[in-house]
Amino acid sequence: MIGTIAYGLTIGGILYIISIGLSLTFGTMRIVNFAHALVYTLGAYVLVSVLPRVGNLFPVAAVIAVLVTVPLAYVIERYVIRQLYGSQSIDYAIIATYAVLLIGIDAIKWVWGAAPISLSDPIGLAVPVLGVELPLYRLVIIGVAIAIFFLMEGFFRRTVVGKIVVAGLEDREAVRSLGIEVDRYFTIVFLIGSALAALGGVLYAPITSVHPYMGFQVILVCFAVVLVGGLGSLRGTFVAAFALGLVIAVTGRFWGSAAETMVFVVMAVVLIFKPIEV
Amino acid sequence: MKTICRFERWRRVDILLVAAAFLLLAPVLSVQRTTDFMIFCIFVLAYDLLYGHMGRLSFGHMLYLGLGAYAAALCAEHLNDNPFFALFAGTLGGALAGVILGPIVVRTTGACFALINLAFNQVGYFLVVAAFAEWTSGENGMSASFAPIGGFDLGNRYLMFGVTLISLLVVVLLMRRLTDSPFGLLLRTIKENERRSIFLGYNTYLYKWLAFTISTAVAGFAGALSSLNYAFVTPSFIDPARSVEVVFAALIGGAGSVYGALVGGVAFMAISNYLPNFVQRWEMFLGVVLLLLVFKFREGIWGYLLRLQTARLGEKSR
Repeated sequence: MIGTIAYGLTIGGILYIISIGLSLTFGTMRIVNFAHALVYTLGAYVLVSVLPRVGNLFPVAAVIAVLVTVPLAYVIERYVIRQLYGSQSIDYAIIATYAVLLIGIDAIKWVWGAAPISLSDPIGLAVPVLGVELPLYRLVIIGVAIAIFFLMEGFFRRTVVGKIVVAGLEDREAVRSLGIEVDRYFTIVFLIGSALAALGGVLYAPITSVHPYMGFQVILVCFAVVLVGGLGSLRGTFVAAFALGLVIAVTGRFWGSAAETMVFVVMAVVLIFKPIEV
Repeated sequence: MKTICRFERWRRVDILLVAAAFLLLAPVLSVQRTTDFMIFCIFVLAYDLLYGHMGRLSFGHMLYLGLGAYAAALCAEHLNDNPFFALFAGTLGGALAGVILGPIVVRTTGACFALINLAFNQVGYFLVVAAFAEWTSGENGMSASFAPIGGFDLGNRYLMFGVTLISLLVVVLLMRRLTDSPFGLLLRTIKENERRSIFLGYNTYLYKWLAFTISTAVAGFAGALSSLNYAFVTPSFIDPARSVEVVFAALIGGAGSVYGALVGGVAFMAISNYLPNFVQRWEMFLGVVLLLLVFKFREGIWGYLLRLQTARLGEKSR
């Protein structure tokens, strides 16, 4: 059981890392950014390619993978998402980012092929926790997720950029009327979110296999995380990510194929008790 | 004025025109393929009631198509192999999904609406592939055999073509009546500004639920038709990854118009059937065209034709 809980927390940590960006774009622009899944997938693929070239040093390869994918995220933001700002085009934004995801997945299949690639555990050590041997790598992921949570809290509470974004989440027009270009700050936040998505892909790659459609599955679960946690609420996202990670792990222990489906059942239940939006 | 009258006159016989168009298409493409096209058109019509008219983008409409297809096939296997009974079962399956999921789904708008449908589609896919694999035979798909009734054997592709054509015409009529009615008008006001419709005293929640259920029922009907047509049902009928196809069709034809949905259905099927022979990177092509549609060509083919027509009218009257 301890193993299951640890696995759930690992999944939850990764879901949290990926969901931050999704939650922020959702909160700031009311856009579901499917291209987020592309950034995540690409992060994992770049890692796979870079890893042998840097002498299998995982941290180095991870940093390179994240840095390589950030410019792509900028291009997507600048030329697709920003063109579709505005209340009337929410649907178009969904379709356009989905189109970007389709193009990206096909490009990945073109470059790397469609076959799944598996990576070995970068640490390979196991530590005993409460009498159960747990892979150290998974504990590292949980640690990274918690560290990112505190970094994010600090960023949004202590820095000016973070405070502007929090204010923009509340009331975009009011912040703009103060003479602050909110959109530029949203771009910064978008890039941070994308870098974290790529990091999520990098961290998750050794646990599962790397394949072109990995992003499609994850983005759906992350969406559930964002919805359950509350749109644009970073603490809510944190709690929801770990809760749903545990749901996945516990369900998976008893009925493997139902693991991800259970997340959507939880989401539906949460939605039933939410007020109707107009 | 005269040309407007002419347009109205065409509109009055539109059912005949649609029938003629598909009858002409049949010898060009082969009967079986045209049947396929028409079934997809029914699906697009069902989808467009939600997207084009009510302004709710669903990203998981394959669920309702797939439920209809599986309901028809399961019904044929376990209850009654009358094909018309199977069609009824498929429609009922779609409608039930709408009635049950509707209260959850129509609470939301925009991105939430799109993704909740997608999430439910994922659940449905899981149910078909894993949970009920005993009955649906999972990934392998199940065959659906229907008994001929009174000399009518729907295995005959000409007969199947006829049944599908009549179904399509009925659905077109239904959708036209619906969208021209006060109900259709209310759906459009919900699309434009739901708050105001509530303010006018309408219980929009109920109407949205009703529209959603009609859409899922018709989608289920299309699913049942396709299981009749193929005599086989695979999980690809309910695959959430394919949900984008119907969005694409609705967009390329022109959302919010019955004729646009027909044009879009035919255009998408033509592209997806013939283009992979020439273009290897099909998904990439789909993505690029979707981007072009979103940025440059939002009105779709039908909207473009209409605009050309009105421009001509304007010049004439001047």
